[in-house]
Amino acid sequence: MGISRRAFEEQLLALLGSLNGVARRLTASPADAEDLVAETVTRAWRALDSLKSEAAFRAWIFSILHNTFVSELRRASARPTLVSMECDEAEEEEGQFSIFEQMHQPFLLWFSNPEQAFLDKLLREDLDRALASLPEHHQVVVVLSDLEGLSYGEIAEALGIPVGTVRSRLARARGALQKILWQQAQEHGLNATSPASRQGNEGAMVRKEEGFIP
Amino acid sequence: MTKHEIECEQALRQVFEYIDHVLDDTERAAMEHHLHTCHSCYSRVEFEARLKAKLGELKKHDADPTVRERIKGLLERF
Repeated sequence: MGISRRAFEEQLLALLGSLNGVARRLTASPADAEDLVAETVTRAWRALDSLKSEAAFRAWIFSILHNTFVSELRRASARPTLVSMECDEAEEEEGQFSIFEQMHQPFLLWFSNPEQAFLDKLLREDLDRALASLPEHHQVVVVLSDLEGLSYGEIAEALGIPVGTVRSRLARARGALQKILWQQAQEHGLNATSPASRQGNEGAMVRKEEGFIP
Repeated sequence: MTKHEIECEQALRQVFEYIDHVLDDTERAAMEHHLHTCHSCYSRVEFEARLKAKLGELKKHDADPTVRERIKGLLERF
Protein backbone atom coordinates (compact mmCIF):
# COMPACT_ATOMS: atom_id res chain seq x y z
CA MET A 1 0.00 0.00 0.00
CA GLY A 2 1.38 3.40 -1.02
CA ILE A 3 -0.03 5.26 1.97
CA SER A 4 -1.83 4.41 5.19
CA ARG A 5 -5.59 4.16 5.42
CA ARG A 6 -5.66 7.27 7.60
CA ALA A 7 -3.58 9.26 5.10
CA PHE A 8 -5.85 8.05 2.29
CA GLU A 9 -8.95 9.25 4.11
CA GLU A 10 -7.42 12.58 5.08
CA GLN A 11 -6.19 13.34 1.58
CA LEU A 12 -9.43 12.20 0.04
CA LEU A 13 -11.67 14.27 2.30
CA ALA A 14 -9.44 17.31 1.79
CA LEU A 15 -9.86 16.96 -1.97
CA LEU A 16 -13.54 16.03 -1.95
CA GLY A 17 -14.70 19.52 -2.89
CA SER A 18 -12.31 19.56 -5.84
CA LEU A 19 -13.28 16.06 -6.95
CA ASN A 20 -16.96 16.89 -6.75
CA GLY A 21 -16.41 20.21 -8.51
CA VAL A 22 -14.60 18.59 -11.42
CA ALA A 23 -17.17 15.78 -11.53
CA ARG A 24 -19.96 18.37 -11.70
CA ARG A 25 -18.34 20.02 -14.68
CA LEU A 26 -17.63 16.74 -16.46
CA THR A 27 -21.11 15.31 -16.01
CA ALA A 28 -23.18 18.52 -15.88
CA SER A 29 -25.48 16.68 -13.46
CA PRO A 30 -25.31 16.71 -9.65
CA ALA A 31 -26.57 13.13 -9.37
CA ASP A 32 -24.11 11.80 -11.97
CA ALA A 33 -21.32 13.78 -10.30
CA GLU A 34 -22.06 12.22 -6.91
CA ASP A 35 -22.08 8.74 -8.44
CA LEU A 36 -18.82 9.50 -10.25
CA VAL A 37 -17.11 10.62 -7.06
CA ALA A 38 -18.37 7.56 -5.16
CA GLU A 39 -17.17 5.20 -7.90
CA THR A 40 -13.83 7.05 -8.01
CA VAL A 41 -13.35 6.61 -4.26
CA THR A 42 -14.20 2.91 -4.48
CA ARG A 43 -11.76 2.35 -7.36
CA ALA A 44 -9.09 4.42 -5.62
CA TRP A 45 -9.35 2.33 -2.46
CA ARG A 46 -9.03 -0.88 -4.47
CA ALA A 47 -6.05 0.52 -6.41
CA LEU A 48 -4.22 1.98 -3.42
CA ASP A 49 -1.16 -0.14 -4.19
CA SER A 50 -0.68 1.79 -7.43
CA LEU A 51 -0.18 5.07 -5.54
CA LYS A 52 3.55 5.73 -5.45
CA SER A 53 3.65 8.32 -2.69
CA GLU A 54 1.49 10.67 -0.68
CA ALA A 55 2.78 13.57 -2.78
CA ALA A 56 1.36 11.94 -5.91
CA PHE A 57 -2.13 11.60 -4.42
CA ARG A 58 -3.76 14.54 -6.17
CA ALA A 59 -2.76 13.57 -9.72
CA TRP A 60 -3.50 9.92 -8.92
CA ILE A 61 -7.03 10.51 -7.66
CA PHE A 62 -7.88 12.88 -10.53
CA SER A 63 -6.56 10.24 -12.92
CA ILE A 64 -8.96 7.70 -11.43
CA LEU A 65 -11.82 10.21 -11.57
CA HIS A 66 -11.13 10.94 -15.22
CA ASN A 67 -10.72 7.31 -16.22
CA THR A 68 -13.91 6.41 -14.39
CA PHE A 69 -15.77 9.17 -16.18
CA VAL A 70 -14.46 8.13 -19.57
CA SER A 71 -15.11 4.43 -19.08
CA GLU A 72 -18.44 4.40 -17.28
CA LEU A 73 -20.36 7.63 -17.21
CA ARG A 74 -19.52 9.36 -20.41
CA ARG A 75 -22.15 7.70 -22.53
CA ALA A 76 -24.84 8.26 -19.94
CA SER A 77 -23.86 11.84 -19.30
CA ALA A 78 -26.26 14.69 -19.83
CA ARG A 79 -23.59 16.73 -21.54
CA PRO A 80 -24.80 18.06 -24.88
CA THR A 81 -21.44 17.72 -26.58
CA LEU A 82 -19.05 14.87 -26.12
CA VAL A 83 -15.80 14.99 -27.97
CA SER A 84 -13.10 12.41 -28.24
CA MET A 85 -10.24 12.88 -25.82
CA GLU A 86 -7.83 12.04 -28.61
CA CYS A 87 -8.88 14.81 -30.94
CA ASP A 88 -5.97 17.20 -30.56
CA GLU A 89 -4.30 15.87 -33.65
CA ALA A 90 -7.48 16.33 -35.63
CA GLU A 91 -7.88 19.95 -34.62
CA GLU A 92 -7.18 22.52 -37.22
CA GLU A 93 -4.00 24.45 -36.73
CA GLU A 94 -5.80 27.75 -36.80
CA GLY A 95 -4.46 30.74 -34.95
CA GLN A 96 -5.58 30.92 -31.34
CA PHE A 97 -8.30 33.41 -30.64
CA SER A 98 -7.27 36.16 -28.24
CA ILE A 99 -9.59 38.72 -26.69
CA PHE A 100 -6.52 40.80 -25.95
CA GLU A 101 -5.60 40.95 -29.63
CA GLN A 102 -9.18 41.85 -30.49
CA MET A 103 -9.33 44.71 -28.04
CA HIS A 104 -5.89 46.04 -27.26
CA GLN A 105 -5.51 49.60 -28.49
CA PRO A 106 -2.09 51.00 -27.60
CA PHE A 107 -3.06 54.44 -28.84
CA LEU A 108 -5.77 54.61 -26.17
CA LEU A 109 -3.58 53.62 -23.26
CA TRP A 110 -3.28 57.14 -21.97
CA PHE A 111 -6.93 57.24 -20.99
CA SER A 112 -8.48 53.78 -21.25
CA ASN A 113 -7.77 50.07 -21.31
CA PRO A 114 -10.56 48.20 -23.16
CA GLU A 115 -9.31 44.67 -22.49
CA GLN A 116 -9.07 45.30 -18.77
CA ALA A 117 -12.52 46.89 -18.83
CA PHE A 118 -13.76 43.68 -20.48
CA LEU A 119 -12.42 41.65 -17.55
CA ASP A 120 -13.88 44.10 -15.05
CA LYS A 121 -17.33 43.53 -16.50
CA LEU A 122 -16.95 39.78 -16.90
CA LEU A 123 -19.39 38.07 -14.56
CA ARG A 124 -18.94 34.72 -12.84
CA GLU A 125 -21.98 33.50 -14.76
CA ASP A 126 -20.37 34.49 -18.07
CA LEU A 127 -17.30 32.42 -17.25
CA ASP A 128 -19.35 29.48 -15.97
CA ARG A 129 -21.40 29.40 -19.15
CA ALA A 130 -18.36 29.70 -21.40
CA LEU A 131 -16.54 26.94 -19.54
CA ALA A 132 -19.56 24.66 -19.82
CA SER A 133 -19.68 25.32 -23.57
CA LEU A 134 -16.16 24.04 -24.15
CA PRO A 135 -15.65 20.57 -25.56
CA GLU A 136 -14.85 18.12 -22.80
CA HIS A 137 -11.14 17.69 -23.62
CA HIS A 138 -10.67 21.45 -23.47
CA GLN A 139 -12.82 21.96 -20.40
CA VAL A 140 -10.99 19.38 -18.33
CA VAL A 141 -7.53 20.89 -18.85
CA VAL A 142 -8.76 24.39 -17.99
CA VAL A 143 -10.55 23.13 -14.88
CA LEU A 144 -7.57 21.11 -13.67
CA SER A 145 -5.12 23.94 -14.37
CA ASP A 146 -6.94 27.15 -13.57
CA LEU A 147 -9.59 26.06 -11.07
CA GLU A 148 -7.80 23.24 -9.28
CA GLY A 149 -4.24 24.49 -9.65
CA LEU A 150 -2.67 21.26 -10.90
CA SER A 151 0.77 21.54 -12.49
CA TYR A 152 1.32 20.51 -16.12
CA GLY A 153 2.94 17.32 -14.81
CA GLU A 154 -0.03 16.51 -12.60
CA ILE A 155 -2.49 17.15 -15.44
CA ALA A 156 -0.41 14.91 -17.72
CA GLU A 157 -0.57 12.18 -15.08
CA ALA A 158 -4.28 12.68 -14.46
CA LEU A 159 -5.23 12.57 -18.15
CA GLY A 160 -2.61 10.05 -19.28
CA ILE A 161 -1.12 12.39 -21.89
CA PRO A 162 2.40 13.84 -22.38
CA VAL A 163 3.29 17.17 -20.74
CA GLY A 164 3.79 18.69 -24.20
CA THR A 165 0.21 17.80 -25.07
CA VAL A 166 -1.00 19.43 -21.84
CA ARG A 167 0.83 22.60 -22.86
CA SER A 168 -0.61 22.73 -26.38
CA ARG A 169 -4.10 21.58 -25.38
CA LEU A 170 -4.29 24.17 -22.61
CA ALA A 171 -3.28 26.93 -25.02
CA ARG A 172 -5.93 25.84 -27.52
CA ALA A 173 -8.52 25.49 -24.76
CA ARG A 174 -7.84 29.02 -23.50
CA GLY A 175 -8.17 30.34 -27.04
CA ALA A 176 -11.46 28.50 -27.47
CA LEU A 177 -12.72 29.80 -24.12
CA GLN A 178 -11.88 33.37 -25.08
CA LYS A 179 -13.65 32.96 -28.40
CA ILE A 180 -16.81 31.83 -26.59
CA LEU A 181 -16.53 34.72 -24.11
CA TRP A 182 -16.14 37.11 -27.01
CA GLN A 183 -19.20 35.71 -28.79
CA GLN A 184 -21.22 35.78 -25.56
CA ALA A 185 -20.26 39.40 -25.02
CA GLN A 186 -21.44 40.36 -28.46
CA GLU A 187 -24.68 38.40 -28.09
CA HIS A 188 -25.40 40.11 -24.78
CA GLY A 189 -25.24 43.60 -26.09
CA LEU A 190 -21.66 44.46 -25.45
CA ASN A 191 -20.30 46.98 -27.84
CA ALA A 192 -17.23 45.02 -28.77
CA THR A 193 -15.34 46.39 -31.65
CA SER A 194 -12.66 44.47 -33.44
CA PRO A 195 -9.78 46.26 -35.16
CA ALA A 196 -11.65 45.85 -38.43
CA SER A 197 -14.71 47.67 -37.15
CA ARG A 198 -13.17 50.29 -34.91
CA GLN A 199 -14.14 53.84 -35.55
CA GLY A 200 -12.31 56.66 -33.91
CA ASN A 201 -11.83 56.32 -30.19
CA GLU A 202 -15.13 54.60 -29.45
CA GLY A 203 -13.68 51.12 -29.34
CA ALA A 204 -14.26 50.34 -25.70
CA MET A 205 -16.07 47.21 -24.53
CA VAL A 206 -19.15 48.46 -22.75
CA ARG A 207 -22.60 47.20 -21.97
CA LYS A 208 -24.89 49.40 -23.96
CA GLU A 209 -26.86 50.46 -20.92
CA GLU A 210 -23.74 51.37 -18.97
CA GLY A 211 -21.34 54.18 -19.36
CA PHE A 212 -17.72 53.37 -19.89
CA ILE A 213 -15.59 54.63 -17.04
CA PRO A 214 -11.91 54.56 -17.94
CA MET B 1 20.63 41.66 -28.16
CA THR B 2 22.24 39.54 -25.44
CA LYS B 3 21.37 35.90 -24.89
CA HIS B 4 18.98 36.95 -22.13
CA GLU B 5 16.87 39.15 -24.38
CA ILE B 6 13.86 37.90 -26.29
CA GLU B 7 11.60 39.48 -28.87
CA CYS B 8 7.82 39.96 -28.67
CA GLU B 9 7.16 36.88 -30.82
CA GLN B 10 8.90 34.58 -28.36
CA ALA B 11 7.41 36.39 -25.37
CA LEU B 12 3.90 35.91 -26.75
CA ARG B 13 4.58 32.20 -27.31
CA GLN B 14 5.53 31.88 -23.65
CA VAL B 15 2.74 33.91 -22.06
CA PHE B 16 0.78 30.91 -20.78
CA GLU B 17 3.89 29.10 -19.58
CA TYR B 18 4.92 32.27 -17.75
CA ILE B 19 1.59 32.70 -15.94
CA ASP B 20 1.51 28.95 -15.21
CA HIS B 21 5.01 29.14 -13.65
CA VAL B 22 6.54 26.43 -15.83
CA LEU B 23 9.40 28.41 -17.37
CA ASP B 24 12.85 27.62 -16.04
CA ASP B 25 14.84 30.33 -14.25
CA THR B 26 16.68 31.50 -17.38
CA GLU B 27 13.52 31.63 -19.50
CA ARG B 28 11.64 33.40 -16.74
CA ALA B 29 14.40 36.01 -16.32
CA ALA B 30 14.46 36.67 -20.07
CA MET B 31 10.67 36.97 -20.11
CA GLU B 32 10.63 39.40 -17.21
CA HIS B 33 13.39 41.47 -18.77
CA HIS B 34 11.27 41.75 -21.91
CA LEU B 35 8.14 42.62 -19.91
CA HIS B 36 9.97 45.47 -18.24
CA THR B 37 10.71 46.98 -21.63
CA CYS B 38 7.58 46.12 -23.66
CA HIS B 39 4.28 47.55 -22.49
CA SER B 40 2.22 45.61 -25.02
CA CYS B 41 3.55 42.21 -23.89
CA TYR B 42 3.25 43.31 -20.27
CA SER B 43 -0.42 44.16 -20.88
CA ARG B 44 -0.97 40.79 -22.56
CA VAL B 45 0.49 38.93 -19.58
CA GLU B 46 -1.57 41.04 -17.20
CA PHE B 47 -4.74 40.24 -19.15
CA GLU B 48 -4.11 36.48 -19.30
CA ALA B 49 -3.14 36.34 -15.62
CA ARG B 50 -6.30 38.19 -14.59
CA LEU B 51 -8.49 35.90 -16.69
CA LYS B 52 -6.78 32.86 -15.13
CA ALA B 53 -7.39 34.31 -11.67
CA LYS B 54 -11.06 34.92 -12.47
CA LEU B 55 -11.39 31.28 -13.55
CA GLY B 56 -9.81 30.26 -10.27
CA GLU B 57 -12.63 32.02 -8.45
CA LEU B 58 -15.08 29.50 -9.97
CA LYS B 59 -13.60 26.71 -7.88
CA LYS B 60 -15.98 25.28 -5.35
CA HIS B 61 -14.03 24.53 -2.20
CA ASP B 62 -16.55 22.41 -0.37
CA ALA B 63 -18.43 19.37 -1.54
CA ASP B 64 -22.17 19.28 -0.96
CA PRO B 65 -22.97 17.88 2.50
CA THR B 66 -24.84 14.97 0.91
CA VAL B 67 -21.76 13.99 -1.11
CA ARG B 68 -19.52 14.32 1.92
CA GLU B 69 -21.82 12.10 4.01
CA ARG B 70 -22.06 9.50 1.25
CA ILE B 71 -18.29 9.31 0.88
CA LYS B 72 -17.74 9.14 4.64
CA GLY B 73 -20.20 6.25 4.78
CA LEU B 74 -18.36 4.59 1.93
CA LEU B 75 -15.00 4.93 3.69
CA GLU B 76 -16.41 3.34 6.84
CA ARG B 77 -17.37 0.25 4.84
CA PHE B 78 -13.87 -0.21 3.35
